Amino acid sequence: MRCRIGVYVCMCGSNISDYVDVEKVREIAAENPCVVLAKTTMFACSDSTQKEIIEDIKVNELNAIVIASCSPKLHLFTFRNVAERAGLNPYNYVQVNIREQCSWAHSDNPKFATLKAIQLVKAGIDKAKNSVSLEPIMIKAEHSALVIGAGITGMKAALALANTGTKVTLIEKEHYVGGRIAQWNRLFPHNDPAEKLVKTLYEEIIINDNIYLYTGAELISKSGSVGNFIVKIKIKPRYFKSGYLIEQCIEKAIESCPVEFDDPFNYGLTKIKAIQQNHIGQFPYYPVIDMSKCTKCGICTDICADIDLEQKEEELELNIGAILIATGAESYQPPSGEFGYGVIPGVITLQMFRRLIDLNGEKLIYNHKQIKRIAYIYCVGSRQYDGENQYCSRYCCTAAVHTSLIVKEKFPEIVNIHLTRGVRTYGKQEILYNKSNLQKDIYLQFDDTPPEISEENGMINIKVVDILTVKKTIELDIDLVVLVTSMVPRKNKELENILKLPIGRDKFYNEVHPKLKPVETMIDGVFIGGNCQAPMNISESVKSSLSAVSKMNALIGKGEIQLEPSLATIDKSICVWCDECTKICPSDAIIKTEYNGKPVAEINEANCKGCGMCLPVCPTNAIQLIGYSDVEIESMIDALASYSPEFTI
Amino acid sequence: MAKVNPDFSVELKKFGGFDLNACYNCGNCTAVCSLSTEENSIPRKMVRYSVLGLEDELKVSIDPWLCYYCGECSETCPQDANPGELMMSLRRYLTSKYDWTGFSGLLYRNMSAYVISFLLIIIGIAGLSISNVFSQEEWLHYGHYLEMLAIAIVFAFILLPNIIRMWILMVWNKEKKFSIRKHFLSLDVLFIHMFTQKRSLSCKDDRDNKVWWFEHFILVLSYLLLLFTTVFLNWFNTENMGIIVLGYIFSGIIFVVTIDFILRRIKKKKEKSTFSHPSDWFFVIWLMLMGFSAFIVRMLIDFSVLEKYFWVYLFHITVLIQWAIIIVPFGKWTHFLYRPFAIYFNNIVQDTKK
Repeated sequence: MRCRIGVYVCMCGSNISDYVDVEKVREIAAENPCVVLAKTTMFACSDSTQKEIIEDIKVNELNAIVIASCSPKLHLFTFRNVAERAGLNPYNYVQVNIREQCSWAHSDNPKFATLKAIQLVKAGIDKAKNSVSLEPIMIKAEHSALVIGAGITGMKAALALANTGTKVTLIEKEHYVGGRIAQWNRLFPHNDPAEKLVKTLYEEIIINDNIYLYTGAELISKSGSVGNFIVKIKIKPRYFKSGYLIEQCIEKAIESCPVEFDDPFNYGLTKIKAIQQNHIGQFPYYPVIDMSKCTKCGICTDICADIDLEQKEEELELNIGAILIATGAESYQPPSGEFGYGVIPGVITLQMFRRLIDLNGEKLIYNHKQIKRIAYIYCVGSRQYDGENQYCSRYCCTAAVHTSLIVKEKFPEIVNIHLTRGVRTYGKQEILYNKSNLQKDIYLQFDDTPPEISEENGMINIKVVDILTVKKTIELDIDLVVLVTSMVPRKNKELENILKLPIGRDKFYNEVHPKLKPVETMIDGVFIGGNCQAPMNISESVKSSLSAVSKMNALIGKGEIQLEPSLATIDKSICVWCDECTKICPSDAIIKTEYNGKPVAEINEANCKGCGMCLPVCPTNAIQLIGYSDVEIESMIDALASYSPEFTI
Repeated sequence: MAKVNPDFSVELKKFGGFDLNACYNCGNCTAVCSLSTEENSIPRKMVRYSVLGLEDELKVSIDPWLCYYCGECSETCPQDANPGELMMSLRRYLTSKYDWTGFSGLLYRNMSAYVISFLLIIIGIAGLSISNVFSQEEWLHYGHYLEMLAIAIVFAFILLPNIIRMWILMVWNKEKKFSIRKHFLSLDVLFIHMFTQKRSLSCKDDRDNKVWWFEHFILVLSYLLLLFTTVFLNWFNTENMGIIVLGYIFSGIIFVVTIDFILRRIKKKKEKSTFSHPSDWFFVIWLMLMGFSAFIVRMLIDFSVLEKYFWVYLFHITVLIQWAIIIVPFGKWTHFLYRPFAIYFNNIVQDTKK
């Protein structure tokens, strides 16, 4: 019990004192026998008042202080710091909010605003009496990070982390790094070749001693908590003994392979064998065998001695301080019939169209037909009126406009017609839109009436209500329809289950707060960057991954992590292990252990957020929240319910 | 159904100096245009029809004829797409579409065609003059009849059929149940707009527009009255002092006003005179030359020195013939007829719809 308490009632300029009678509040606070000193102050947070409080604590040997001022969201840490500087434990400081909760909320009734402030201060004093000195919890943190996904986001993050001195394990599910970038070949806004971009990053990664890159690798389990995760990684073999040598025999081996199927890299425009060499822009430059397709016929092993079809998967266990998810996104696959997709042969997605441009030489041929007029339909799978994808995918307008420039440059006779829902080539990307206008591209705009697409004599006919042309129904004869498809979350159930990743309404991974914690997840130590979080273009993805890197470095860079001591604590002698608390805990912070031979629950301090969810479900009242113990809360309730002579005013 | 024709913008470009590709559909032009209403967005609708190449829609459009080129849309355009000049170009385009001979289109798209046809007339007159086929009296005599004949032929075989073609596009194609009565009842609209251009006054409420309107108004009147004076009152061959003075006044006014209009086009201070198509120059310069040469010829007659300076008369007759058989039927002169007729036809269709 603390009985040398100082109380400060702040006026906040006039924010509080205009409605709350601060002198009255001070007078009544001073009546409490444990209150040694009670003052009013113009600005409690000002430098001079802070110094005054420190002086008061030292001179009067105060063992707790109460400051009635604004919300603790604003100044809790300011005043905790004041207490600490005066040699008082910061947890013996109690903040009472009489600004937001009294003067602002009850500006229409100053009398009751004052009364409410009096009662709240009384409760604050009683909480201070029962407050306990606490020390922040320090846990050891591994100075190492796991980056999942070696697209541009993951690669840039790995390099940045490595440069801060963090040991980075970069894993990629595919056998090649670079994600989807290679498929685009040339990147907006400056037409950078994708190959060069990926190659630069890949080469930097390879020579960086702090980065361990595993391709064909997947996370299969995670345990532990922030600072001390234990992760298991499964690594698929490439089925080449030496692994790194490209021998003369590879070409022959690929030729001889009898298994041929549609190449997903080119969206089925070309075929690929079970033994594959990487495409341009993919690294490392090593062959691989796709075991999901390989029949193990053995023909290739006769040609190439280096091939070993019996190679096994490997597993790796690592201690990791923090994890970055950079798994990227997928492009929307329109259902059969949406804008004629899958039904009319001349309807393809933008992603496939980009491959088509690259694969064609002098003339643009698709489906044995020379393409002269192209219609781009925007917002396919984005901003849906009826569907689930209500978000804008951000990159697609610019990608489509950029594509129209590329196709016109390569095939000048092409006519581009854009059917948009408003062109969102924001920022500097607007320049591309201007260029596309200048090359005589035609823009139409539709809203909730989607364009109708039909086919007649090999020509595709589009009917669209153009809101730019007095909502007239306009008809177009088109050779090729390009659906500008959106970005959708990658289907990655396993990873989501292993990491318990929070998923937003749009099915992308969710940050804690879009402005204040934009790259953090609800799971401490797990960060998100790039397209797994939301649709972004490349530079935005890189920016988000780099901000995640700075947060990760701040977290694990010091070797230890400081946690708030206001956590749940379990009295093991009372606990009967009913399992109710583990079910309700949102942070996976309760573990099963043994005490005197009986199973009991225990708090994993690294995971506990002190939310208090477990308290009300405990049937034996074995759980207490430090800093909000029953004694403290009950004393506050008593104070709030106590009689005040002012009630009769 | 309206079919997109991406090649059309290239074709239309030949009719004027606007930049369709610069337009990003902000709609500022339409917001600022005093003609634009909730039902009809001017000039945006025309801009879009032109971008998409909807020729069928353009051919029957009234909007270009409602516009008097105040130029506010072009001043406001953030992309310098020059929508005001687009409307002007559409008037040239429509003129070429009404014209059954196809000669309008050829002249508008091709400055060399203008020059060649003008040169042919000069060569013809020069040839006749050198070969002494006509005496000076005969020149004056036939010149007068030639003027009357040219007017009659141009009206009967070119302008009248073109007006009928215009009527088919703007009335017949739109409203099959038109009434003959409405055609008579709306005649006042036709004549008011033909002689006053009063709609242009409501386009822009500033002093400059009023000055322009007044100049244009007296120019039209003087032109028509000079035509009447020379053709029907035989100005060059009359002794009536009143007619002689009137002729001087009308030709003088034409000369002064056209000089001012030419200066406007040279100074380019106002949006409407910033861009000048060859047809604009030919129109205003030839009108000026006509007024000027007529004035001088009559003066030479009055001082009895025409015989000495007969080349002046030959110059005048050359200008006159160029004007009468090139500019009047195929050039900018036609806006004198097409604009009021467009308003008149539109009035008939609107009334019938009501």
